[in-house]
Amino acid sequence: MITLTNLSKIFRTELIETHALRDVNLQVNEGEFAALTGPSGSGKSTLLNILGTLENFDEGDYLLDGKSVKGLSDAALSRLRNEKIGFIFQSFNLIKDFSIFDNIELPLRYRGLKASDRKQRIEQALELVGLHARRDYLPGQLSGGQQQRVAIARAIAGEPRILLADEPTGNLDSLMARQVMELLEQINQRGCTILMVTHDPEQARRAGRHIQIVDGQLHDSTLYQPLAAVQGA
Amino acid sequence: MDNLLHAFALALRNIKRAPLPYLLTVLILSLGLGMFFSNATLYYWLNHDPLPQKSHSLFYPQINSVLQPCDSCTEPMRVLSYQDVQKLSSSGIPSAQAAMFQSAGYARLPGNSDVSPTPVRLRVTQRDFFTLFDVPFLHGERWADDTARRELILSKASAERFFGRSNVVGETLRLGNELFTISGVLQDWEMLPRLYDVANGLNSARSADIYLPWETAFDLGIKSNTTTMSRDERDYSDNFAVNGREGQFYQAQFWVQLDSPQQVTAYQQFMQQLVHSEKEAGRHPRPEANRLTNILDITEHFNARNRQLDAFALVSLLFLLVCLFNASHLSLNRYLASQYEFGLRRALGCSRSQLQQLILADVAVSAALALFLSLAVAAAAMSLIASLLPATRNLTSWNPLMVLTMAGTALIACYLVTLYPALRASFGSLNRQLK
Ligand SMILES: Nc1ncnc2c1ncn2[C@@H]1O[C@H](COP(=O)(O)OP(=O)(O)OP(=O)(O)O)[C@@H](O)[C@H]1O
Ligand SMILES: [Mg+2]
Repeated sequence: MITLTNLSKIFRTELIETHALRDVNLQVNEGEFAALTGPSGSGKSTLLNILGTLENFDEGDYLLDGKSVKGLSDAALSRLRNEKIGFIFQSFNLIKDFSIFDNIELPLRYRGLKASDRKQRIEQALELVGLHARRDYLPGQLSGGQQQRVAIARAIAGEPRILLADEPTGNLDSLMARQVMELLEQINQRGCTILMVTHDPEQARRAGRHIQIVDGQLHDSTLYQPLAAVQGA
Repeated sequence: MDNLLHAFALALRNIKRAPLPYLLTVLILSLGLGMFFSNATLYYWLNHDPLPQKSHSLFYPQINSVLQPCDSCTEPMRVLSYQDVQKLSSSGIPSAQAAMFQSAGYARLPGNSDVSPTPVRLRVTQRDFFTLFDVPFLHGERWADDTARRELILSKASAERFFGRSNVVGETLRLGNELFTISGVLQDWEMLPRLYDVANGLNSARSADIYLPWETAFDLGIKSNTTTMSRDERDYSDNFAVNGREGQFYQAQFWVQLDSPQQVTAYQQFMQQLVHSEKEAGRHPRPEANRLTNILDITEHFNARNRQLDAFALVSLLFLLVCLFNASHLSLNRYLASQYEFGLRRALGCSRSQLQQLILADVAVSAALALFLSLAVAAAAMSLIASLLPATRNLTSWNPLMVLTMAGTALIACYLVTLYPALRASFGSLNRQLK
C-alpha cells in the first residue's frame, strides 16, 4: 500500500544542506505493524512526515495505494490525509481549550460529516480507548496516558487505513506505555496499517516488522513477515 | 452553515485565549480607522457633488467690468455689481438665472414689540434661485417675478421658530423695520458643500433662514454681510436704492443654468459681444477677462479649498498606516502563538482554503468590533474638529453608503493586518510544529 522508490530528502538552510533521507526504498503492505528505529537525527520523523504528506521530498517517488502523491493539489493532499491517514504524536498535540469530544471531532469536521455521524464515530472511538466517561473533560484534566489515548481516538475516529505514530510512548511511563501499545496492537488487528517510531527495543520486537534507519538510510528491513503471519499474531 | 458557526465560535474562542493582545490590536486599529474616518467624512462632504443631476449645467459668469483703467488687472472681480447682473441677465439664453448675496438682520412677529427681535441669516436673491439649486417648497411657491415685493420665503425651521408651525403662507413678519408677507416655506434643505456661496469661502455654512427679493434689498439698503467692494467715490450708506444700483458696488454672486453645450457656447459668445459693445461705449477699460466657471470647478477657481482639512486628511491617512503596521505586528504575535494549532489542523486534513475560512471568520469578528469602536472614535474626533474649525460642523453626518464603505474599509484593514500571519499559517512547513 506504501511504496517508496529512491526517495531522498534534503533540508537546505543558508549555511548547510542536511541529507535527511538518502535513496530510501520501502514497501509496506496493508495490515503491517512496522517499528521504525534509529539514532536521534537519523531521519525517522522526516520519513514519517513524508509518508503523512506533511513534508515534500526532493527525489524519488512515493506511491500510496498505487498512486503517486507527487503533484497533488493542496486540497487533494488534505483530503488524502483526512481520509487515509491518522497521526499520533509524542506530545499528543491536543488543543488545550477543546473538550475531549471537540478534539476528536476535528478531523471529522474536515471530512464534512453530519453532526449526528460525527457524534456516533466519536463515541465509538472513545469506547475503544476506554474514555467514554471523560468526553467533556479538557485535556489538562487527564493523565498523559489518557491524553495519548484521546489522541489515538482522534486518529482512528475517521477510520484511516494507515496510522503514523512518532514515538507515541515517548512521554509516558512504562505502565501507560504498555496500555498504549496494547491499544495500537488492537487497532492493528482490525486491519489498520501502523508505522511507529520508537526507541524502545521491546516495542520494536513486539511489532511485526522492524525497520532501522541510520543517517537517512534504511538498514535492512529485518524481520520482514508476510501479511498472513502478521494477521495471525 | 455548521462550518460557518464553527468558524465564528473559534473566532470568539480566539478572543478568550488572549483577550489583552486581541483588544489592543482592535483598539489600535480602531484609533487609526476612527481618525481616518472622521477626516474622510469631512473631506467627502467638502468634495462631493451636491447636485449630481444638474451640476454640469450650472455656471458662474464674470466680466472684468471695473471702470478704472488698469492694464495689469487681468482677473475679474469675484463678485458682481448690480450693473453687471443687469447686463449678464439680458441674454435670454439660460433656462434659469439668479443673482444673490448673503446678509443678516433681525426679525420678529409684528404684534410682539416687547419681545426682542431674533437674529436671522438672510439670502437676498431672485426667483430662479429655487430652480437653479432644486430647492423644494413645503408650502406656497417662489416669487411671481423678480420685481421688488414685500414677500419673504422662510426655511421650515424659521417658520416653526417664529410661528410654531410650518404652514405660515400669508402671515406677516417684521424684518428690521419693515413688514413682509410670507409667500412660501421651504422643506428642510441644505446644500453641502454650499457651492453657490464659495466666492465667500462659506461652503460649509448653513443655509439661510429667510429669503428676500433682490430688488427689495436694494430699495431697503440691505447689503451683503460678507464681501462688498466699492470702486468709486459714492457714499453707499446713503440712498442705496440709487447708488447701489448705479454705482460700482460689488457684492453679488450670479449663477446661470446652461443645459447644453450649445447654450454654453451661446452664452460665452453673448459675454464676448457684451464686452465688445461695452468697450466700444468706453465702459470696459480693463483687459477682457471673461470667465464662465462650472459649479464643480468653482472651489478651485476661487482658491477656496480648505487646505487645513486636506492636510488633516493626509495626516490621518499616515496615522492609519502607522496603526495598521503596529496592529499587524501585534496580530502576528497572536498568530504565531497558535501556529502549532494551524499545523495540527492541516495534519488532520484541513485544506488551505478551509484554513483561510477560519481566518476570515476571525477577520470578520475583529472587523465588526473595530468598526464599532472606530465609529465612536470618529464621532469624537469630528466633534473635536468641529470645535476647532466651526465651519465644518455641518459636514459630520454619515449616510448609509458611507457607513457601508467604512465597514468595508474596516474589513480590508483587519484582513491586511492578518494577511501575513495567515499566509505564514497556510504555507509554513508543518513538520517543525508538530512534535
Ligand atoms: N525543517 C528542517 N530544517 C532543516 N533540517 C531539518 C529539518 N527537519 C529535520 N532536519 C534535519 O534532518 C535530520 C533528520 O531529522 P529527524 O527529525 O527526521 O530525525 P529523527 O530521527 O526524528 O530524530 P529524533 O529521534 O531526535 O526525533 C536531522 O539532522 C535534522 O536536523
Ligand atoms: Mg523525531
